[in-house]
Amino acid sequence: MKVKLRQLDEHRWEIPAEGGMRVPGRIYASEAMVRDIRQDQSPQQVANVAHLPGIIDCALAMPDMHWGYGFPIGGVAAFDAEEGVLSPGGVGYDINCGVRLLRSDLTRSDVHGRLEDLSLVLHRAVPSGVGSKAARALNDRELDDVLVKGVDWAIREGFGTRADREVLEEKGRMAGADPSQVSARAKERGRPQLGSLGSGNHFCELGYVAEIYDEPAAEAYGLKKDALTVMIHSGSRGFGYQVCDDWIRAMVQASKKYGIRLPDRQLCAAPLSSPEAQAYFQAMACAINYAFANRQVMTHQVRTAMSKFFGASDRSLGLRSVYDVCHNIAKWETHRVDGVEQRVCVHRKGATRAFGPGHPDVPERYRSVGQPVLVPGDMGRYSFILKGTERAMSETFGSSCHGAGRHMSRSAAKKAAAGRPIFKELQDQGIWVRSDRKATVAEEIPEAYKDVSDVVEVMDRAEVAKKVAKLIPLAVVKG
Amino acid sequence: MRPTRGHRQVDHTADLALDLWAPTEAELLEEAGLAMVAILTEGAVLASNGACDIRIDAVDREDRLVQWMNEVLYWATVQGFLLTSAELAVEHDAVVGRAYGQTAALAEVRTELKSATYHDLRVVVEDGAWRARVVIDV
Repeated sequence: MKVKLRQLDEHRWEIPAEGGMRVPGRIYASEAMVRDIRQDQSPQQVANVAHLPGIIDCALAMPDMHWGYGFPIGGVAAFDAEEGVLSPGGVGYDINCGVRLLRSDLTRSDVHGRLEDLSLVLHRAVPSGVGSKAARALNDRELDDVLVKGVDWAIREGFGTRADREVLEEKGRMAGADPSQVSARAKERGRPQLGSLGSGNHFCELGYVAEIYDEPAAEAYGLKKDALTVMIHSGSRGFGYQVCDDWIRAMVQASKKYGIRLPDRQLCAAPLSSPEAQAYFQAMACAINYAFANRQVMTHQVRTAMSKFFGASDRSLGLRSVYDVCHNIAKWETHRVDGVEQRVCVHRKGATRAFGPGHPDVPERYRSVGQPVLVPGDMGRYSFILKGTERAMSETFGSSCHGAGRHMSRSAAKKAAAGRPIFKELQDQGIWVRSDRKATVAEEIPEAYKDVSDVVEVMDRAEVAKKVAKLIPLAVVKG
Repeated sequence: MRPTRGHRQVDHTADLALDLWAPTEAELLEEAGLAMVAILTEGAVLASNGACDIRIDAVDREDRLVQWMNEVLYWATVQGFLLTSAELAVEHDAVVGRAYGQTAALAEVRTELKSATYHDLRVVVEDGAWRARVVIDV
């Protein structure tokens, strides 16, 4: 099927509902982006999602969309509680891959001439790289505790405070987790890895606030121009990948059992009310909690390292969590559908929640301005902090973009990087990169990624999420 | 003339795709496992000092390929067992047999892969040869 795209306005494009599509598709993108989008399978994947039973309103894609497994990356879909389904393809392998942002009272002048040393300190503090592991593996009881309690476990163990908890999506603990729904193999993979970054596009990045677009929101978030920030991008590690693997197998069977016709096997699903969907939800919640705890432990590692480096407590450095967002998740939320408040299951696959002002799930200190939306770019340019809006609530089930998205394959990136002193190139820009694997850095060169400012511009102009601040990297630890 | 059995990586924006071919399904599966290990170790030369028995249940040929590749991935990244060869057969949709490889070899794993996936997955028999395309989430 060649997917048709009909332009609705400057930023929105519709895939008309045809064939087995139950609803239309809606893509947020600029005209320039649509030319690229048409080159890959992602519009077809949006159309495929629209085939799923109980889908409400439309199958959505954010401007960082590209093809994924089942759902496109950047895909969002909400499902009716009675007639809808739950699909692991709408969550992804790296369940609760997400971003934590810390702010500080330090400024660029505090690290002038010291970035080389500080980048090394951060590299040593946060386990990173292929198969990276924590200093100590958890035992079975500890792991089960993590899976149920998420960040609450980490706080109890001394890796954070209640102040962290209050500014995390879901307060860092997803309800409904049941470790008995998780395989022994997933637990085996998860035990040694809590508090580690992993590899690929995961990172720990020291940066600074380069520009502020919305002063009141920046003030509410604790962001000041020139102040240093730390961003941690990671997820549920091997534990989450295994949970996804295990449940894709189960859901392929469930799809047959419930007569769900799949345009793509990776869209396997079960009715939300079924025992299979409920069991997957319980396992997924375990992975979500694992990832929250993972980012909290790494937050602690960063705080400890910076505290020692600057000879001051992290409290006196003002190293506080701003927010923590999930960008691979499915969860129950209340949204207005045809004028009526309705409980729906929202899937976000490479998309970020972006709740608007006044929403009770936005932390109290941010409620008047809207939820922070953390959108990392590549390691050579910039990242953005946005805020959620009322328009997001009415148009995208309170969802926004999550990052830049690749537009160059890993092998093409390695070719482009061959023979170039990438580390030095970035140092000449004032950015210190640390990694145990040169090939990872080659694969992650800035030009391998789209320009995240283009992605964010679409969200801003469409009023789905508004720009608050731009961050520029200073030191990046890559896995 | 192309060898009767082999694999090649296909350029893919965000992930990794493999084209595989072999005279039989069993050899296709072995080739897929070896390709996985070659990617994980960046082509390291490995010894063969260990073995294990295999039984992987699946529902069809596509599922067999993905399950088998993920088993090889699990062995490599969790147990440090890197496949060097395998004697495989397909019995009632399951993959059975024995795998040989290098043990205690976690240090040889240089790349992180998440999973072999069902995306764009094709396993076909054409002109008497088995061919497959599989995408791996990186």
